[in-house]
Amino acid sequence: MMDRRAFLKSGGIALLTMGAGPAFLARAAHASKTGAPRRKVLVTIFQRGAMDGIMAVPPLGGGASGDSALAKLRPQLFMPTAASGEGVRDLGTGFGLHPAFAPLLPMWRDSRLAIVHAVGSPDATRSHFDAQDYMESGTPGQKGTPDGWLNRVAGLLGHDATPFRSVAMTRALPRSLYGDQPAIAVTDLRDFRVGGERARATAHRGPVDATGFEALYDDNSERLLQDTARDTFDAVDTLSKLDVSRYRPAAAAAYPETSLGRALMQIAFLVKSDVGLEVAFAESGGWDTHVRQGAGTGSFARRARDMAQSIAAFWTDLGAHRDEVMVMTMTEFGRTVAENGSGGTDHGHGSAMFVLGNDVEGGAVHGQFPGLHRDALYEGRDLAVTTDFRSVFAEVAGAHLGVDDPARIFPGWQGPRLSLIRR
Amino acid sequence: MIRTAPRFFTLLAIPALLLGHAGTLPLQARTDQREARTMPWRAAGLDARQAATHFLDRFTFGPRPGDINRVVAMGLEAWFTEQLAAAHPDTALDNRLEPLESLDLTLHQTVERYPRPSSLLREMRREGTLPEGMEEQIAEGDRDELRRAAAGILRAQGLRPQRELYKEMLAQKLLRARYSENQLHEVLVDFWFNHFNVSTLDNEARPYVGLYERDAIRPHVAGHFRDMLGATARHPAMLLYLDNARSVAEEGVETAFDRTRRRSGRTGSGARAARFDGRTRKGESERARRRPSGLNENYARELLELHTLGVDGGYDQQDVREVARAFTGWTAEPPRRLMDEAGSRRLDRARRLPASSGFVFESGFVFRPDVHDAERKIVLGTRLPAGRGIQDGEAVLDLLASHPSTAHHIARKLAIRFVADEPPEPLVAALASTFAATQGDLAATLWALVEHEAFWAEAFRHQKIKSPLELAVSALRTLDVTVHRPRGVIEWVERMGQPLYAYQAPTGFPDRASSWVNTGALLARMNFGLALANGQIEGTRIDLAALADGREPASAEEALAAYVTLLLPERDPFETIRRLTPSLTDPELPSKLGAELSTDARDTSARDRLSQSPSGPLAQVVGLILGSPAFQRR
Repeated sequence: MMDRRAFLKSGGIALLTMGAGPAFLARAAHASKTGAPRRKVLVTIFQRGAMDGIMAVPPLGGGASGDSALAKLRPQLFMPTAASGEGVRDLGTGFGLHPAFAPLLPMWRDSRLAIVHAVGSPDATRSHFDAQDYMESGTPGQKGTPDGWLNRVAGLLGHDATPFRSVAMTRALPRSLYGDQPAIAVTDLRDFRVGGERARATAHRGPVDATGFEALYDDNSERLLQDTARDTFDAVDTLSKLDVSRYRPAAAAAYPETSLGRALMQIAFLVKSDVGLEVAFAESGGWDTHVRQGAGTGSFARRARDMAQSIAAFWTDLGAHRDEVMVMTMTEFGRTVAENGSGGTDHGHGSAMFVLGNDVEGGAVHGQFPGLHRDALYEGRDLAVTTDFRSVFAEVAGAHLGVDDPARIFPGWQGPRLSLIRR
Repeated sequence: MIRTAPRFFTLLAIPALLLGHAGTLPLQARTDQREARTMPWRAAGLDARQAATHFLDRFTFGPRPGDINRVVAMGLEAWFTEQLAAAHPDTALDNRLEPLESLDLTLHQTVERYPRPSSLLREMRREGTLPEGMEEQIAEGDRDELRRAAAGILRAQGLRPQRELYKEMLAQKLLRARYSENQLHEVLVDFWFNHFNVSTLDNEARPYVGLYERDAIRPHVAGHFRDMLGATARHPAMLLYLDNARSVAEEGVETAFDRTRRRSGRTGSGARAARFDGRTRKGESERARRRPSGLNENYARELLELHTLGVDGGYDQQDVREVARAFTGWTAEPPRRLMDEAGSRRLDRARRLPASSGFVFESGFVFRPDVHDAERKIVLGTRLPAGRGIQDGEAVLDLLASHPSTAHHIARKLAIRFVADEPPEPLVAALASTFAATQGDLAATLWALVEHEAFWAEAFRHQKIKSPLELAVSALRTLDVTVHRPRGVIEWVERMGQPLYAYQAPTGFPDRASSWVNTGALLARMNFGLALANGQIEGTRIDLAALADGREPASAEEALAAYVTLLLPERDPFETIRRLTPSLTDPELPSKLGAELSTDARDTSARDRLSQSPSGPLAQVVGLILGSPAFQRR
């Protein structure tokens, strides 16, 4: 865990928290002085549309479960292994990695990146909406759960929230963050100021408006509005001093110019700014590859490259902050093992997740891979689910965030945690 | 959980469609009776203007200039009566809704006319009818390009992309809230849609969501609860959103169709030959389609927990299961476009069956006796005999609608919306008692609300935090803002935390202050006020000078006083004025404020200048008031 000096060395941001900073940071600092654990950050990336886990992390080797089986089932989508170019990278564990994910290989070799395979939901639905809903509420099969699993995790952290504790880099709040704990949905932190976009364009007006609003909300008779407003003005003030528009990622970090790239860069900015971020949410779209999925190039490869480059840049950018951060990807289900008549794949069942962090048992594919024998397939067509996604979520929440209360994060679930993180 | 088995509920063995609502008076008689009574606002210490303001705060999307005077003149009872009847002509609104093409289409016309471009493309690709070059575009994955191309193909076939349907759905919501003269109905539609929430985030439910509000919610908001409950239960939007469309009898269970056939001497389970799946998709493998499925409890669970009894309403998991069994076979007719030939043939065959077959077809709703569990069920202690079809579900709805837990649950939700986040229990009890005594007459229940002293209590006035939609529309109304294109405002409502028709969970948006107010949302609220007042929200036109007509401010202080009075009627203006005055004299504030305002306001050129440059200091004052704590409450 970094200390303030490490931060000053690593970040190029003018630091504000040394002296009298915002009240919410003072509260947070008080919490850490009183022996509460130092803040960790969980960054979740939802791959909307259902990623083809078999294409991302194909099984290698002969026999009915390896690539010879895949070559038959996927005449257009199959890729042989190769050390470079458009071939699948051999991970040396009986699995390969799609070449577009190659930017993740350094983290894999460094034992920071783990893969969980044949992971998914116990619910059989092949509806994107239902499966995403179940994964985000954390209650497969139950639509009425009012809150999301990340919101429940935030509520169990055991200390006060800062305005930036739970942040989704999305337009609307994702289902994962529905609930009683405050959360922010924002796509561009530059808009997080009084006057919003307008103030960004014409900088002069912002301060006057801010002064006016502060006068209006100060000592207001209504506690909720008053307290929230105080945090809001503090947060705005904090961000404006940090000046996100001037943020420069660490030297070698090259974020792609995509929404995921921008989202992760802003999350890195919040992490380094030490504003109390603990739960972050980003998403990556376009994984619903029914038609012309492509192999080494094409629509899957484009998505995969964006995601791998974004995550790699984020990890580079974090520098000395890596100890604090864990990244977990998720997707609602996998895709059919066999390709369809349109050079794509249809809705399936099990898929794969990536978990990245300094304490992760990296360089390994976790979970039980059930194989691609006809008998082993779910309903005769899909990769079976052998690891409940909640086993992974619970492990990450418990080992990284210290929220070791699976029964409250996932009501009604008593499954085992997947051992994935060094203690 | 405690299981209540109220014995006094007897099930009528006649189809619920034929059930009337005995005991309710004709509208006219009821109205006369009401007008003879008065609302106890005087007893609560309010004067007529305060009472009217409170009324408008609760039952409209915000008062327009002059509304308070009108209601005072008319009398609250007369206004409420008129609003409940939704009898006011709505020409201005109708004119604005006129350009929207989808609002009057039937359900079938709507879903056939507004396909998703992606599903159309997939279909054309399968049939090999894609135009030259589209293959490559699909492979390239340039979504915008594809969208344009697909829209072109759709138009050539007389169709429209589904996003246009969605845009019109959002547009009509905002336009009705802003312009309708029948405000109470719009407020009630908003409340009841949220109570029976469905979501456009669900791809399958999405095309039906606007129809659902129009056909299942809107006609019943001042009618009877049972009718609305029944309409939502049968609507494709709800059937798809909460999965009842795919809930079928477990394997091995006797279905209603099996029984009919056995009785008529025809054997075998040929019944299942008539099967067509509510979610049939062209091109899905046979195996996937025939995947054995059974009971899906999602609708049953939310029906009990959210729509009727409430979470502590006295049911258990066994009841959920029994209710799910009662609703097996309640499904949605898939759009023809999405059905393959065999599926269409099966559907047509089923349609030709005589009524005695038990099949029911009704505007997108289908009851399928061939997958309905016809064995005996026990719901909340009441027996549903074996051998029935659609009557099972209707009997469950009767049972639930007349259950005391439902009366209490609905009463409490109404009190939360119209009185306070934590409403006083005597008020809830009074509403529940009226609801129960009138068999769920919603107009009578609302009368009970306004006739209760707690509704008028000082402690609850101006205490409800406005939802983002209420905030935005109240600002539009109080400032008489013209909305040409609603999209810009709708985006702000989303940014403030209320994506319309897109709350994912069946709970609907939580109706309490803490869920609307957090740092991100509060900042967005302030910024909304500034953006609106400065004329920077796309599709809106604001004329602050026209608004101030008749009392042109001679100074910044006077402007502040005038707009505070206008925007925050019947509230103590001094607090807001006191707080804002220092920032008006802030040296940073352009000194032209005084200059601009000291020009003789009757000088038309000066007035034009004010109205044409909305980014002036007047706008700043107004923006601050819109973002103030007082304006966040109603």
